[in-house]
Amino acid sequence: MTTDATPRPQDEAIERTPSTELVVAKVWELPVRVVHWTIFVSVVVLSFIGFYIGTPFLSTGSDPGFLMGGMRAVHNLAAFTFIAAILARIIWAFTGNKWSHWDQFVPFAKDRRANAKDAFRYYVFLSDDPPHEAGHNALAGATYFVLFTMFLVQVLTGLALLSLESEGFLASTTGWVFSIAPIPWVRFLHHLIMWLTWGFVIHHVYSAWLVDSDAKAGLMSSIFTGWKRLPPEDL
Amino acid sequence: MPVVDAPTDSILHALASHGVTRRRFLEFCAATTALLALPQSYAPRIARALEDKKKPTVVWLEFQDCAGNTESFLRAVSPSVGDIVLDVLAVEYHETIMAAAGFQAEAAKDAAVAAGGHIVVVEGSVPTGANGVYCTIGGKSAVQILEEVTAGAAAVITVGTCSSYGGLPAASPNPTGAVGVPELVSGVPVINLPGCPMNVDNMVATIVHFLTFGALPAVDGEGRPLFAYGERIHDHCERRAHFDAGQFAQEWGDEGHRKGWCLYKMGCKGPSTFHNCPSIRWNGGTSWPIGAGHGCVGCSEPAFWDTMTPIYGRLPAPPGFGVTTSVEQIGAGIVGLTAAGFAAHGLIKAGQRKRAHKQDEAPIEIESATADDEEGAGQ
Ligand code: HEM
Ligand code: SF4
Repeated sequence: MTTDATPRPQDEAIERTPSTELVVAKVWELPVRVVHWTIFVSVVVLSFIGFYIGTPFLSTGSDPGFLMGGMRAVHNLAAFTFIAAILARIIWAFTGNKWSHWDQFVPFAKDRRANAKDAFRYYVFLSDDPPHEAGHNALAGATYFVLFTMFLVQVLTGLALLSLESEGFLASTTGWVFSIAPIPWVRFLHHLIMWLTWGFVIHHVYSAWLVDSDAKAGLMSSIFTGWKRLPPEDL
Repeated sequence: MPVVDAPTDSILHALASHGVTRRRFLEFCAATTALLALPQSYAPRIARALEDKKKPTVVWLEFQDCAGNTESFLRAVSPSVGDIVLDVLAVEYHETIMAAAGFQAEAAKDAAVAAGGHIVVVEGSVPTGANGVYCTIGGKSAVQILEEVTAGAAAVITVGTCSSYGGLPAASPNPTGAVGVPELVSGVPVINLPGCPMNVDNMVATIVHFLTFGALPAVDGEGRPLFAYGERIHDHCERRAHFDAGQFAQEWGDEGHRKGWCLYKMGCKGPSTFHNCPSIRWNGGTSWPIGAGHGCVGCSEPAFWDTMTPIYGRLPAPPGFGVTTSVEQIGAGIVGLTAAGFAAHGLIKAGQRKRAHKQDEAPIEIESATADDEEGAGQ
């Protein structure tokens, strides 16, 4: 299959590299990359500050500063950045290119199921051929679904905790969280998801590096530049 | 003693005969108006309502309790707001403080209930297990008594966390099947005044509201009056400035503790607890737990014994790991195991690559045979 035979909307973004069989494709559009790095930076900030809020390891001693107050203000600022990034990504899942489409995160379609099987065999050492997919392989996509579900719970528990100090809109929209879990358990969950997120980060970076070093499609650099170098049939 | 020409069963007469001056009475009305978070223009209305009204009949029931709310009710510093409420209520039945006993006491209760329109105050949780045998008075179970006494009542006030939500008797594993009163009463308005014990000033204000407006005050999602439970302890705590500054007591009796710094790291549950303790305080406004140097234990929240513990730790212990384990330890463990797991995965992959590399250098037939095998295995 060649790209000429089946024209697709992404074709303008594909350049042929004449010397090899490979094509260079703009897989990750700018919004996807911006969202990715916004989420990364805000999770780093939220986690560091969240850990401080949970276990204030710094102390202003006798100096009357505003350390905890400032930390909490930055946590709120980062939290709303984080929420904005997630909302932007959700919108992009319906308006972006096919690799950022929502169906990349749920391995339901036939070819995605087959891709999930290939990826699984690769990860459990049954095959040394990395899954062929320009975007997320089906298993990776599924882990992002889990991650976004965790983020959603984190946003909900965070907003509910925020509502404790404010009556009104937040309290009336997120108060129901406390009928599912008492306040201390909501805090507990908020902590647990932070740690699970870092567990995910380890898995995510390792797997990206692993697949990149086998597939050599420029996966690692693609999240900075957007471009991947691929055999045309992977597109 | 001031002379009043009020009927002998009126509140005003009761106050006067106890030597409460009109000035003191109006002060009380103004203070209660403030406590109820009403504009001060309501104070005269409250005063008029109290002057005109007959003393409300109160039946005070005690079930699985420690009588701590009775203590709170009685130990008001004279001549305080709590003192006045004692005078304006016709407490027809109260096991701990009534003079009558046995059949006489039961008769007094029956008479009050038969007249109807009374206020029922309940202290202690109600055991429902084993047909209610865990708490019986005069041969009747607490469930039966509650049903009989609340029939025809004007309102039910649950005092203390046990009667509001089950409290300590209902804490896991709840051997007696204890529940809070609201779960058993229907058809009569119920308001919760949780706390261990409840604060008598809030009880007075609730009753005054009821007498003045003919209705119980507005409540939150847990059935507690908003005027008393609408704000978080943490947001009105006198140590809050130390919290914001990042100044925390690290140990009991350390420098920070002696200087009155925030008790957050000592497990204070003020950030999760709604009650007006910081503003009305206890024992005539003398002090309150956090003021006295101990963190809040969250006693006015539902199921606090199960969810707010450990008392000296910030967060609940992860289930199944023992009470000394923290969520940070579990979380760091998860991250560590993940890292170790993927490191092992990386090593195995490296070994697999080495083998594949060797095969690449082998004669071409072997490679295609391997590929065929793999396709077969994949089908
Ligand atoms: C996205 C929306 C988020 C919101 C609205 C939010 C909000 C909050 C709020 C209000 C608190 C409580 C502060 C307090 O108790 O005074 C909090 C604490 C915390 N946050 Fe977040 N947060 C969010 C995301 C995150 C993320 C992504 C992480 C980490 C990955 C995180 C980690 C923490 C931690 C560890 C605490 C300490 C909780 C405690 O001990 O009570 N938060 N957050
Ligand atoms: S002592 Fe408790 S309630 Fe007071 S500021 Fe500190 S954490 Fe909040």
